[in-house]
Amino acid sequence: MKQRFFAILLMALVGLLFSGPAARANQDAAKDSAPQAASSASDTKAGGYVGSEACKGCHVEEYKSWENSPHWKTSLNTRDGAAHQGCEACHGPGASHIADPTDASKLFLFEKASAKDVTKQCLTCHAGGKEHMNALNSVHTENGVSCTSCHSPHHATTKEFLLLKSQPELCYTCHLAKKAEFAMPFHHRVNEGLIQCSDCHNVHGTVGPKQVRTASTQDATCFKCHIDKQGPFVYEHAPIKTDGCQSCHLVHGGPNAHMLKVSNVNLLCLQCHTTSSFSSAPGAPSFHNQASFFQSCVLCHSSIHGSNFNSFFFK
Amino acid sequence: MDIRRAVVVLGLVVFAALWMAPASRAQGASADTEGKDSGNYNIQQSIEFGYRWTGINGNIDTYDTFVNLGSGVRLFDYTLDMRSLNHQGIFFDNLNFSNFGYGGDPNDVSRLHIDKNKWYDFQMVFRRDKNFWDYNLFANPLNPAALNPAGSATTGCIVSPPSSANPGLPGFCSNPANAAVNSPHGLDLVRRMQDYDLTLLPQSRVRFRLGFSHDRNEGPGLFTTDSGTIPDFPQSYSYTTNAYRAGVDFRILPRTTISYDQFLNYFKQDNTLLETPVATPGQYGYQLANGTPVDMGIIWSSQTPAEALPCAAPISNGTTAPPTVNANCNGFLRYSQVGRPRNFMPSERLRFQSNYFEKFEMSGSLGYSNSDNLIPDYNEIINGYTTRSAVRESTTGGPVKTTRVSVNADWSGSYAVTDKLRVEDFFRYDNWRIPGLWATYETNLVGAAASGQVGLALPLSLFTESSPSAGTPFATLCPAAPYNQAGCPLHTSSSGADVTNELSYQFLGQNLKSNTLQFQYDFNNRWSARIGYLYTNRAISQFSAVFDTGETYFPGGATANAGNLYLAARGDCALVAGALPAACAQNADGSVTEGSAANPVAEAGNDTARNVTTINENSLLLGFTGRPVDQLRLLGDFSFGSNDASFTRIDPRQVQSYKLHATYTPKPWATIDGAVEIHENRDDAYQVANLEHDRMYSFTTMLMPSPRLAVSFGYNYWDVYTQADICFNYSITYTNPAPPPNTLPVSTSPPGVATTACPISGASVGAAGLGALSTYASTDHFAHADVMWKPIKRVTADLGYGGSFVRGNTIFLNPLMPSGTLDYNYQMPYGSVTIDLSKGFSYKMAWNYYGFNQAGNTSPFGLAAIPLQDFNGSNATFSFRYAF
Repeated sequence: MKQRFFAILLMALVGLLFSGPAARANQDAAKDSAPQAASSASDTKAGGYVGSEACKGCHVEEYKSWENSPHWKTSLNTRDGAAHQGCEACHGPGASHIADPTDASKLFLFEKASAKDVTKQCLTCHAGGKEHMNALNSVHTENGVSCTSCHSPHHATTKEFLLLKSQPELCYTCHLAKKAEFAMPFHHRVNEGLIQCSDCHNVHGTVGPKQVRTASTQDATCFKCHIDKQGPFVYEHAPIKTDGCQSCHLVHGGPNAHMLKVSNVNLLCLQCHTTSSFSSAPGAPSFHNQASFFQSCVLCHSSIHGSNFNSFFFK
Repeated sequence: MDIRRAVVVLGLVVFAALWMAPASRAQGASADTEGKDSGNYNIQQSIEFGYRWTGINGNIDTYDTFVNLGSGVRLFDYTLDMRSLNHQGIFFDNLNFSNFGYGGDPNDVSRLHIDKNKWYDFQMVFRRDKNFWDYNLFANPLNPAALNPAGSATTGCIVSPPSSANPGLPGFCSNPANAAVNSPHGLDLVRRMQDYDLTLLPQSRVRFRLGFSHDRNEGPGLFTTDSGTIPDFPQSYSYTTNAYRAGVDFRILPRTTISYDQFLNYFKQDNTLLETPVATPGQYGYQLANGTPVDMGIIWSSQTPAEALPCAAPISNGTTAPPTVNANCNGFLRYSQVGRPRNFMPSERLRFQSNYFEKFEMSGSLGYSNSDNLIPDYNEIINGYTTRSAVRESTTGGPVKTTRVSVNADWSGSYAVTDKLRVEDFFRYDNWRIPGLWATYETNLVGAAASGQVGLALPLSLFTESSPSAGTPFATLCPAAPYNQAGCPLHTSSSGADVTNELSYQFLGQNLKSNTLQFQYDFNNRWSARIGYLYTNRAISQFSAVFDTGETYFPGGATANAGNLYLAARGDCALVAGALPAACAQNADGSVTEGSAANPVAEAGNDTARNVTTINENSLLLGFTGRPVDQLRLLGDFSFGSNDASFTRIDPRQVQSYKLHATYTPKPWATIDGAVEIHENRDDAYQVANLEHDRMYSFTTMLMPSPRLAVSFGYNYWDVYTQADICFNYSITYTNPAPPPNTLPVSTSPPGVATTACPISGASVGAAGLGALSTYASTDHFAHADVMWKPIKRVTADLGYGGSFVRGNTIFLNPLMPSGTLDYNYQMPYGSVTIDLSKGFSYKMAWNYYGFNQAGNTSPFGLAAIPLQDFNGSNATFSFRYAF
C-alpha cells in the first residue's frame, strides 16, 4: 500500500514536470497566435508585436522617458524576441491598439491592473535578480503594494532605480509612523542620508519577518554595521542571538538613549533578571542595592552584548 | 532714523532682486538643465557648495550627540550623470555619481553606479559616519548628594527640598561629592564603510557577481568595568571588517534562476585600553602621599555604609594639588587590556527561484556558515588595590576559541488554484549553535606584609609559583607557618586563588522551524483578502561548565592561622568540617592546589545539563486590501499569536498586531493618509505580569495644487508602555545627624513606589528583597509640516517644522535618579529661499533650528549638579548650486 502510494506520487510528480513546460508552451503559442490573427497592421511581427517605433508616433513623452531609462536596453534583447523588447515588453503586443487606437483593452495598462498582475508583469524580466529572489514572500505584494507603487518607468524622479521619490521619503509615504521614529533624537541616520531603509530591509521580499535582510553570515542584519556585537562570544547574552536586538532596542529610533525601550537601564535589566522558575536569566543578586549607586547595570556589565572573558560581561 | 533707512534700502534691494529674477528668466534661464552632449554621452552635473554657520547655546555635547553639524565650508551635493546617447558607450552606457557632506559634516556619502548593458553593472558606496556620543545621563552613576555643612538648616545628606512639613529625604552622600558630568561611555568614533559590487554579463544566462566591503570603525572612547571601584578607562576602538563575496546565477532552465554565493568575511578587533600616568595623565585626579598618581574611579559614595566607594574617607589631604588620598581605598595605578579577536566567517548559500510552471511559483535557499573567533593573545594587567580581595595586581590571559555554525533553509511556494484563489506556503529552517571555550590563566598578587604601608602603597609580594625556576620561590620568600613574616603575602579570606587555570566551556544554540500556510482570494479587482496560519517551533539550548585545571592558593595574611591552614584554605579550597575538600591538596610550601591539567575539577555550581527551552508558537494571520472607489485604498494586516512558553520574562506568550492604512486621493494633487499600528505583547504568567504595547496613530496630508505650491502636514501619536513584576534589593541605612531636624524618615522602599516583599520564593535578591510592578510609559506627539512656494518662477521658498513632544513616567527605584529622557521637547523648524540667478545657477539661504529642552529634573535637589542636556540654536547655510 505504501509502495503504491509512493509510485502514484512519483508518477504525479513526473507528470507535473512534463506537463508544466508543455502546458506553458501551448499557452504561449495560443497567446501568440491570438493577437497575430487580430492584427491587421502591415508591419506586424509575429505575435502582434509592432515595435517601439510604432508607439513613438503618438506617445512621444512616454517614448522619450523610456528611451532615456534603463528599460531601453530591452531593445537590445534579440535573444528573447519581440515579446521582451521595448514598449511591448511591458505593455504587450500593440497591433490591435494600432489597428484601433481607441481600443487599449488588449494592452497591459499598469494603472488599471491589480497589484498582483503589475508585480507579475515586472517579474517577467526582473525575477531572479539578487534583490528579487524572494519576491514570492513579499509583504508588499500581499498587501497590495505593487512595483509601480514605488517605481515609475516613465515619471521617475531618481536617476537610479526609477523611483517615484528618493528614500526615505518614498517609504514614509506609507510607513507614516516611521517618520516620527526617525525624528526622535536617538535614531539611525536615515534622514541624514547615511543609511537607507533598503540597507536593512529588502523591500522586494525576504524569508524572515518584516522583510529584514540577513547578514551574509546568515545572522541579523544589524551585524553588518555593528559587527563588534556579532561575536561569536564565549559568553553570549542569549536573548540577543535568540530574540534579536529589538528585545532591548527600538530599531528605528526612540525617545531613550541608545534607542532603549525604557528610560532607565536598570528597569530594562530587572524585567528579565528577576528570578523566575521558567526563565534562564539569573536574578539580580542581593548586593545590587537599587538605593545605592547601582543606577546603571552597564556601568559594570559594560560588555553586555557578549564577552569572551567574563561571564558577567564585565569586560 | 538710520534703522528705518536701512530697512527701506534693504526692502528695495530685495524687491529689485525679485524683479530682476524674472527679467533674466526671460533670457531662458532655468535651474534645471538638459545637460550637455559630448561625444556619445549626455552629461549632467550639479554642484552645491557653501558655508554653514552654527550658533548653538547650551549643552554642545548633547547637540553633537544628536546633530553634530558644525560651521565651515561644505560640499553639500555633487552629482554627475552620464548617459550614452545610443546606449552603446565604449566603456559604459550609464554612470551616476553622487556625493554629499564633505568638508566636515558627520556624514559623508559617495555613490557610484556604472553599467554597460550586456557586460557589467558596477555599484560603489562610500560612507563615513562621525559618531560622537556624550549624552551625560546614560550609564551615569548617581550624581551623589553633597554633605551639607554643619550649622546649616539641614545637616547630613538631604535630597529633596526640606521644609517644616518635609525634612527631606536622606540620601547616600559623598565627601567630596564628585558628579560624573560626562557619559562614562562616551565615544568619538569614525566609521568608514565601503561597498563594491560588480555583476558581469548581467543579461546572459550565466552571470557572475563579485563584491567587496570594507568597514572600519575607530577612535577613542571610554570603558567602565567592575574592579573594586568603577573606573572609566580610555579605550582606543579599532574594528575592521573585510568581506569578500562571489556568486553566479544560472538562468539556463526556462523561467528559473539558480544562484550560488560564497562569502568570506574577516573581522579583526584591535581595541586597546591603556591607563598610565604617562599615556593618560588626565585620568588621574588624585595622588598618594608619595606623589604616585591614582585613579579613584567615577563613583563616589563615601558615606554609604558597606558600599563606600572608593572608601569611607578617601581624601586624606585636600590641600595638595592634586588632592592626596587615603591609600587604603579602592583605586588604580595602571591598567592595560589588549586582545585581538580574529574572526573568519565563511558562508555559502544556494538559492533558486522559479515560475517554470504556469500556476506554481516557488523559491528557496540553503545556507551554511561557520564562523571561528580566535583570540590568541588576550592580556589584562591591573595595578591597583581592591579592598575586598586585597589584590594589588592581577594578570589575566588565555586563548579563546568560539565557533558559530549555522545551517538554514527555506522554501516558498504559491499555487494559483484559480484566477482568484492562491495557496501559499512558506517554510523556514534555521539552526545555529555557538560552542565557546576560554582557557583562562590568572595571577593575583597581593601586598607584602610588614612593609609599613597599606592598600595602594603596598609593595607586591612577588614569588615564583613553583621551583626550580628563576626568581624567588615562595618557600624562600615566606618559609614557614604561620606565614606572617616580612615579605609574606597579605591575603584575606576573600582573596581568590593566587594562580588560576581554568577551562570555561559555554554553549548556546537554537533550532527553529517555521511554516506559514496562507490562502489569498481576490473577490474582484478591488478587493482581496487572505487568511493564514503560522506555526513556529523553537528549541533553545544552553549550558555552561568551568573546570579547574590548576588553582593554587598560597598562604599568608593577617588572619592566617592553623584553623584556616594559615589562610591557604580559602575559596574553593576552604576547609569543610576541618578538612580540605577532596579536590584540594596541600603542597610542601604550604600552598593548596585544586585540580590539574591531567585531573580537571568541575567548578561548584556548573550547569552542565543541556537546558532546552522549547517554544511552540501558533498564529492566525488575516489581511485585506481594498479599493472601494478609485480614490480610496484600504489595507488591513492582523496577526494573533499564542506561544506555549517564553525564553525570557519579556518574551510574549500572546502577540496581537493590528495595522490599518487608508489612502484617499480626492484629487490628483491631494493625498490624505491615515494609519493605525498597534502591537500588543503579553507574558502574563504568574509573577511576571509582562505587558507591552506599542501604538501609533498617524495621518498626513500632501497637497500640490500647482507646481508652484506644495503643502504637506501630518501628525503622529506614539504610545509605548511596558510593565513587569520585578524583585530587587533596596536598603538605606541612615544615621541622622544632630538636629535640626532631629528626625528624618528612613526609606525602606523607594519613595512613591508601591512595593511588597518579593513574592518569588528563592529569589536571588534574598529575604529582604522587595517586589514591585515596574512600569514605563511614554507618549510622543510628533507634528510636521512643510510648505514649498514659488511666488515667482525664480524664487522657491520652503518653510517647515518637525517637533517631537515626549512625555513619560516610570517608577524610580532610586530617589537620586534624574528623570533623563522621560520628558522633553525636540523641535526642528527650518526654512530656505532659493533664487535662480541664471541658467543652472542658483543661490540658497537656509535656516535650521534645533531645540532640545528637557521638561524633567536633571539635577534633583541636594545632588552634585551635572550640566543640563538642553541646547537651542540655529544653523544658517549659504550655498550656490550650479547645474550644467
